[in-house]
Amino acid sequence: MSTPVSTPDLDEQLDLGAAPIEPWQTVVWNDPVNLMSYVVRVFRTYFGYSHEKATQLMLAVHHDGHAIVATGPREVMEVHAQAMHDFGLWATVRRASQ
Amino acid sequence: MSAGIVQVRLAPAEELQLRHLIEDFRELIGAERDSADPAVARLTPSPYPGDSDAAHEFRAATEDDLLGRRDADAATVVAALASTEQELVTMAEEKLFAERERGIPVEDLDAWLRTLTALRLVIATRLGIDSEEHHDPDDARFGVYDWLGYRLELLIEVAEEQGF
Repeated sequence: MSTPVSTPDLDEQLDLGAAPIEPWQTVVWNDPVNLMSYVVRVFRTYFGYSHEKATQLMLAVHHDGHAIVATGPREVMEVHAQAMHDFGLWATVRRASQ
Repeated sequence: MSAGIVQVRLAPAEELQLRHLIEDFRELIGAERDSADPAVARLTPSPYPGDSDAAHEFRAATEDDLLGRRDADAATVVAALASTEQELVTMAEEKLFAERERGIPVEDLDAWLRTLTALRLVIATRLGIDSEEHHDPDDARFGVYDWLGYRLELLIEVAEEQGF
């Protein structure tokens, strides 16, 4: 066992606990145009979700008006939202805490 | 390298109509586009609807790229249909509406799906479709909208049946 010879000067800005990585979400919203089969296919092929999970998400979008399709760093969620827009789905990005 | 072909059925008359719709679509999203057009806006939605600064910034940074990819998709479909117009010059009328096999390479499948979807989104915006029940049998544009939906549904079905 050893003890430090001196107590280091801790700079407050170096406290990693002060800046947690905040999760964001990609949310897909319902629209009256896109086909259910198409939405399932997009979730399945783009996110790599199983047919079952993709179908559950599609039904959530359809019945609840929206569904969270991904959670993670903001930049990644923006890439997902753009990909959804490429497919003609309407997606938004928001803080997970909202 | 082709991993496979998705076989669909389309009549030459359908291919011709599809090609004309796509030509209009490419004009709509091209360099001369009106970004304030609701149909263009629908294709480039904001991921930050509650935050106009972030929304504006995001759209300014991504609209060109996004519509550029749309145009590339549309160009892929148009290229596949390019031979039809030539054929039609000498085609007997009864063949015009007869379905025939058309193979779509798997690598072009997403371009077809996205383009058919985009055409439906544009038509829906023009028709003011705001619910799944919204329909007017007297408006011929609904016929085009329904036809595109039917063909898109079949294309998805066939692709999934074939394991793509």
